[in-house]
Amino acid sequence: MASITLTDVTKQFPDGTVAVDGASFEIADGEFFILVGPSGCGKSTLLNMIVGLEDISSGKLSVDGEVVNDVDPKDRDMAMVFQSYAIYPHMTVRRNMGFPLELAGIDEAERDRRVEEAAAALELTELLDRKPAALSGGQRQRVAMGRAIVREPRAFLMDEPLSNLDAKLRVQMRTVIARLQQDLGVTTVYVTHDQTEAMTLGDRVAVLRRGKVQQVASPKELYREPTNLFVAGFIGSPAMNFLPGEVEEDGARIRLPIGTFAVPDGLREAVAATSGDLVVGARPEHFEDADLVDAGEGTVTFDATVELVEWLGNELVVHFGIDAEVPGHLRELGEELELEELTNEDRIAVVARLDADSGATEGDTIRMVLDTSEVLLFDAATGDRLHA
Amino acid sequence: MEEETPLTSRLWWTIGALAIAVYALLPVAWLVSLSLKPAADIADGSFIPTEVSFENYQAIFTDPQFPAALRNSLGIALISTVLAVVLATFAAYAIVRLRFPGRGLVLGGSLAIAMFPPVSVIGPLFDMWRSIGLYDTWPGLIIPYMTFTLPLAIFTLSAFFREIPWDLDKAARVDGATPFQAFRKVIAPLAAPGMFTSAILVFIFAWNDFLFAISLTSTNSARTVPAAIAFFTGSSQFTQPTGSVAAASVVVTVPIIVMVLLFQRRIVAGLTSGAVKG
Repeated sequence: MASITLTDVTKQFPDGTVAVDGASFEIADGEFFILVGPSGCGKSTLLNMIVGLEDISSGKLSVDGEVVNDVDPKDRDMAMVFQSYAIYPHMTVRRNMGFPLELAGIDEAERDRRVEEAAAALELTELLDRKPAALSGGQRQRVAMGRAIVREPRAFLMDEPLSNLDAKLRVQMRTVIARLQQDLGVTTVYVTHDQTEAMTLGDRVAVLRRGKVQQVASPKELYREPTNLFVAGFIGSPAMNFLPGEVEEDGARIRLPIGTFAVPDGLREAVAATSGDLVVGARPEHFEDADLVDAGEGTVTFDATVELVEWLGNELVVHFGIDAEVPGHLRELGEELELEELTNEDRIAVVARLDADSGATEGDTIRMVLDTSEVLLFDAATGDRLHA
Repeated sequence: MEEETPLTSRLWWTIGALAIAVYALLPVAWLVSLSLKPAADIADGSFIPTEVSFENYQAIFTDPQFPAALRNSLGIALISTVLAVVLATFAAYAIVRLRFPGRGLVLGGSLAIAMFPPVSVIGPLFDMWRSIGLYDTWPGLIIPYMTFTLPLAIFTLSAFFREIPWDLDKAARVDGATPFQAFRKVIAPLAAPGMFTSAILVFIFAWNDFLFAISLTSTNSARTVPAAIAFFTGSSQFTQPTGSVAAASVVVTVPIIVMVLLFQRRIVAGLTSGAVKG
């Protein structure tokens, strides 16, 4: 078990592309740490640098205070689970799982004991003498996990281990991994592009974008206090809604396409420091059917035509549109995050989560309330969240 | 055409396969028949020998030059095969896995060598071998055989290595293997079918070669079977050595058949299946 510290870790490929740019954070001993970001953000490269499969161009990587930049992967005592599983096709499951122990020179009896133990934990006992070709995808995935845990390594590194499984199995394995990590208490670095996985598994999450670490925080903090538009849009499902906002001349109110609201007290100064162009971020749950709540202080009430209703039993997910010019930078963000809501030029699609009692039906125009005390304000120029 | 049921299609396949087998095996059968005929019957024109005799076989083995040639052939072909496959394995692995300057050049260069007509290098090679003392020695044949078969072996093997997911190397490295251990314990076993394929190709090339063997050898110390057969003489200067040539040909075909049958079972496709998803 180990703590892993990254100081300004950078990866530049020979062709000049910077895959990881100055990543600095510390992973505590026993922590379940997630690297998340859209594809091509450098998260897998970062993981490969931690395990030693990629050289570190500059910066420092230390494990338990000891710099390991130049330590060979075989000597780092870390176990990795690959996205492709990478189990050895010519070996039986038993030999696959025992392979790291075999290389470490551990005798056969001890090897067998540990393999059987891990196999029991992963329900692989009956499959021990099969070859990988005779296993299903989920079973192969568990063999890969088993090979990692028999070693009792200092850290587990997992590169999108669940992305090749079907949805049901993925949820199931997510629980298995979470429980296993808790039981073993081994420091785990887990790479994923799926924010749901990141939020449900991680003690802490690092969000990456184009090689740069955007924010390192607990899932709760990422959700409530994202540092910028990117993190805000990436974390959460359905994604946060973004509306262009403009500070009125007196600096006291913000104008949205659907109404105006007072600048929250704590943010006066921060708002005054901007050029006046803002982006207002509202989570789907910040909207409500006006029939069901009192539209009191700090709310904006507006009419919307419902386009699509998804009934989930305990809530309604309602899609509607707001006519407004979408600024270019929001559209770019929408493209990067694959948020279709932001890709039109003159119309913003909004997703709201309403109480199941709401009578909203497709085609209706209903009154809607936005709770502005909960919304987040971002500087349109920099994308950073305004805070007191 | 009328609708084809699976049965008729199977029938056609069988007929086709039989036709090809007969076409390919007829000359071999003829050769066997010739080798079993006593000298007087050689020209009798019958396909099945009227009288079976092993005198041709006895003749070639009592003549010292044939056993010597057989020894040379086996030794030279086996050594060439082992060396070429080992070298090609390392070269192909490096070409597929490492990013070094001149990768393309190595592959392109070896392809160029493969396309080179061997007959054009025979003259210079003869002179060179004579002056450096390789003429009429085993290395004198092993070196050209390796040179001309390496490109093919490298190509075959790099195709196999390309099929092996790189994640397996990486997994082995993380599991605690040195680069060489990763290669030996994980990659090489998976590339085994490729190695056997190239081994067969190299062996057949070296075994069957006539051009180098006839030009670069002069005595029993390195002359291989194809060259030695050309020096067979009849029992008197008025008889053709047809019977002994046929017997010798049958004998030299045996190792090839054994080799192919042995390794054929190892060349199973899909040995890598199950390594990764899907």
